[in-house]
Amino acid sequence: MRIYGFLAKKVGDLTIKYSNFPESYVKRSYEQVYWKNPSNYPQYPKAQIARKHYRFTTNRPWTSQFRMQNDRNMHRKKVFVEPVGEWSFFKGDRVEIMVGKDKGKQGLVTQVIQERNWVIVEGLNTHLRVVGKDKKFPGITIQSEAPLLVTTDVKLVDPETLKPTEFEWRYTEEGDKVRVSLASSRIIPIPKAAEETIDFKSKELYIENVDKDTTSDAAVKITFAPKLRTFEMDIMEEMGIKEDREPAKSFWY
Amino acid sequence: MNTAMISNLLRSTINRCLRTQNVIKMVSSTTIRRDVHTTTPANDLMEFFDNKKNWGETNIRVGRAWKLDELRIKSNTDLHKLWYVLLKERNMLYTMEHECNDKMRLFPNPERIDKVQESMNNIETVIRERNVAYYQLETGETGERPVEDVVNLFGLREKYQKQEYYIPRFMNTRWVRPYLENGFITSAAVKKFYRLYKEKEYNVERKARNKDFRHVQHLLKRFPNMSMETLKAEYPDVDIEKAKRSRKARGHFMPKY
Repeated sequence: MRIYGFLAKKVGDLTIKYSNFPESYVKRSYEQVYWKNPSNYPQYPKAQIARKHYRFTTNRPWTSQFRMQNDRNMHRKKVFVEPVGEWSFFKGDRVEIMVGKDKGKQGLVTQVIQERNWVIVEGLNTHLRVVGKDKKFPGITIQSEAPLLVTTDVKLVDPETLKPTEFEWRYTEEGDKVRVSLASSRIIPIPKAAEETIDFKSKELYIENVDKDTTSDAAVKITFAPKLRTFEMDIMEEMGIKEDREPAKSFWY
Repeated sequence: MNTAMISNLLRSTINRCLRTQNVIKMVSSTTIRRDVHTTTPANDLMEFFDNKKNWGETNIRVGRAWKLDELRIKSNTDLHKLWYVLLKERNMLYTMEHECNDKMRLFPNPERIDKVQESMNNIETVIRERNVAYYQLETGETGERPVEDVVNLFGLREKYQKQEYYIPRFMNTRWVRPYLENGFITSAAVKKFYRLYKEKEYNVERKARNKDFRHVQHLLKRFPNMSMETLKAEYPDVDIEKAKRSRKARGHFMPKY
């Protein structure tokens, strides 16, 4: 049964990876559940009243701006997103713009918004925005980048010819999955910047929180030695708890 | 008179304890007492709160949750200890969240609760794996609570979790079987309910199917150059050829034929 179809996965994998949050947190931060039946009571069906359609924009799902844009009384037209299959555009990729006033220019991808098939290219495809306009103050004009569709508006750049190219996912002899440019058959490597999250540029550069985090040395230390015991038996022995009583015979039905 | 006074005093103390605003005051009084009695390692109520230097923070950044593979290399004792570290952390986070809500402050990094919960779930999974392995080896059974596939009194299939009793079933006159014997629906009322339930279920499925079909029609209209393989992979139940032939899938142009 597809009753809970509206709870299906909507936020992209790359968004969750970028947020560095547990998936459950991302889900509960953007979902608007107005009523939920108490769980684990047989008399209540598993039902809830929640917002079904969300408008995903450049604002990330866990932000307050997202919440404001998806206010309870706000209902906007459905957006049709072309299915792209496997996602192939990552942060730090060099792309060429195929449409608009910056057509033919190349730039680096700074943001990926998978929910809408969008990428944002650094300093390109911009418009001017006036911020903080007042009766007394004329406001500040800033340049802001508009998102581009990965299906039609941008193309990956071939590392050899530096021209826009089509590409394909293939396997190397080592078994790694790579993007291969069809123009020159060169591998288009996934940039290091794709690892970046809100918290760190790359995993090695993460600074541990001394009070809260387990150090990596302690985490990778192997302390497990296989023994013919259950967890409870092991803990009892560790704590010196002796149990000689035989459990009474019981019946399961 | 005296007893009334004592009971009054008791009630007021309990009220004081229950009021959250007073928790900090109570706690501070206990801390002072602890300072006097330094001989006992008193774990006071402040353990429910975060470190004092984190109180005004807006961002308390922490690492990720424990993964299953990291927990699998840890001994049972380590897991046992880690469980209580996480449990205390979770209690602390819940307390801080409640306190922040109470004081109209923003609780920094609420995703920490999810991280701790995920780690605790992973610990439970690992321990269960180990216990199942032991019982499989020793008894050939999983050692988990036995579950049976039954048809319940509404005629619906469900998993029945068996319970433990100290007398066998034939002796237990008070036990009433909460499912249909051999899975046969005999009552007309249950049959009628089941038919209507099936109809409802079918309608939900039908609506979802039609919704997908309409969605594909619109996609075809908007993105005529779309790759049909990806579309088929995304919507395997939709007849794409049929959707292509429909009027809704045609764009705003004059047909060539």
